[in-house]
Amino acid sequence: MKITGTIDFDKLRMIANENRKKVLDMVYFGGSGHVGGALSATDVITYLGECVIDYDSKERDKFLLSKGHAVPALYAELHHLGYIQDAELSTFREINSRLQGHTNLLHMPLTDITTGLLGQGLSYGVGMAFAKKLKKSRNTIFVMTGDGEMHEGQIWEALMQAGHYKLDNLVLIIDRNGLCSHQPVENVISIEPLRERLEAFGWNVKEINGHNMEEIHSCVSGLNAQYGKPKCIISHTVKGKGISFMENNGKWHRNIPNKDEYVAACKELSLAREGI
Amino acid sequence: MKQNYSYSVPKDVIGHRLIELAKDNHKIVVLSSDVSVSTNVEMFHKEFPERFFELGIAEQSTMSVAGGFASEGFIPVYVALAIFSNGMTWAQTRQVCNANLNVKIIGTHAGVDDGQDGSGHHATEDIAISRVLPGMTVLSPSDEYEVAAAIDAMIQYDGPVYMRVARDEQPVIHSKICTFTIGKAEVLEDMGNEFAIVFEGTALRQALEGFEYACSMGKKGKLVSVRSIKPIDKECILYLADSVNTIVVVENHSVLGGLYSTICECLAGQKNRAVIKSVGFHDEFAESGSPKDIKEKYGLNIEQIAKMLG
Repeated sequence: MKITGTIDFDKLRMIANENRKKVLDMVYFGGSGHVGGALSATDVITYLGECVIDYDSKERDKFLLSKGHAVPALYAELHHLGYIQDAELSTFREINSRLQGHTNLLHMPLTDITTGLLGQGLSYGVGMAFAKKLKKSRNTIFVMTGDGEMHEGQIWEALMQAGHYKLDNLVLIIDRNGLCSHQPVENVISIEPLRERLEAFGWNVKEINGHNMEEIHSCVSGLNAQYGKPKCIISHTVKGKGISFMENNGKWHRNIPNKDEYVAACKELSLAREGI
Repeated sequence: MKQNYSYSVPKDVIGHRLIELAKDNHKIVVLSSDVSVSTNVEMFHKEFPERFFELGIAEQSTMSVAGGFASEGFIPVYVALAIFSNGMTWAQTRQVCNANLNVKIIGTHAGVDDGQDGSGHHATEDIAISRVLPGMTVLSPSDEYEVAAAIDAMIQYDGPVYMRVARDEQPVIHSKICTFTIGKAEVLEDMGNEFAIVFEGTALRQALEGFEYACSMGKKGKLVSVRSIKPIDKECILYLADSVNTIVVVENHSVLGGLYSTICECLAGQKNRAVIKSVGFHDEFAESGSPKDIKEKYGLNIEQIAKMLG
């Protein structure tokens, strides 16, 4: 944990709100990107960036965004932390930009992993967790997958491997927003009963409201006291969270808002900001 | 030229060599997919249990686990039969290369060397699907001493490397002091300019026997081991193409995308003296049988080499 003292939850909510606006801007002005899954993951990513991952340290916790298409949320947080400049945000997905369409280790080492093919991030987490233990480092590896990503067979290989080796320095966060690319995960291929499946694979499972900063903090800060099993947080979220017409609407997996929609979305985020 | 060779199985040296290197290099870890006995790394498991990771019959995840180790500064060596460590993992290997991670992949039983298990276990496309990946280095050493030297070079090199290793017996043509340089071919014999037999390491036996046969028929030529397929020794290939009348490329691999293709790509766009001909597997799956019988039936044999030499 980067922060061990008192947490200012309103400040976290404010930063998350600003990050949502940056996600919206990146996708709107860039004309490309996945807005819905970035907005569902924004609160958890904001929390991890503000309170957990110490990006200034050489030997540190890591955050692997296996659902790499949600990367605008991570860039927004890295921007808030000062690692991405204002002008750079508008280069998202453009040629010669560091801000690639998915996380990319070579273009932006702080993203900790190169993605673009779903299902691989948890395995990287397993390798890093092994490595941290070999180094006798107390760091934790956080991996965020989508819930639709749980369809990938490789995820279940990694779940087995982590469970077998009791990798208690590995935390899987499933962004359970309920939607695949355009329709409910449960309609595509059911992943339920998810909790029971994960527990059967040897994981310690918690469930939270992934938009509630107090719940996120309570869960993540309590992880270090748990030993002997890898840990999973099923983070129940809403795809498109924070912009009403995008919420729970499969259309907004990778739709680009038009000008009217953009203006309406900005207004909603602005109102939400005033309410914090 | 030596006439009486001893024979050994090149993949048997893998475990020994990794143990030797790991004594001084504490970054080396070995990953397995339930084939540590077949690939000869079980001895590494016994010697360094804390640095050996048995990850089960889960090749895709194992490749990405290797990527995770490399991201943390280790040198993971993933050893499995080529059809597993290479054939089962292309999308994961692609991401390893996409991040230029320092992952080492060894594929044993290259080509049809796992003969009896049948075409599902044969790895006759591994050169093609690995060399096409940006940033990947592809090695194909020949006998046991060259495999050991290639492992040294692979560990010293910073970046992703795929190395294929023979399971079939190979003549021992090198000594213990064999050296291996990535990007350099080895001219084993140079007796004239009528022809050159050029081979990747796991086709050593057929290439050597084909060369000896040609010599016995009074032909004068060269025998060249292209032990580094990517990067390839372009200087050597151009020299051969301008020196001899015929180059016969011999490979325990499909002629599509393998060494023959690599050499043709090297020479495309220019006029050279040599005509390039191929001996290998021709766009078909083989069948169960001893590696020797499969190579005989499907054309990786002395008769084909002799036919190509005319």
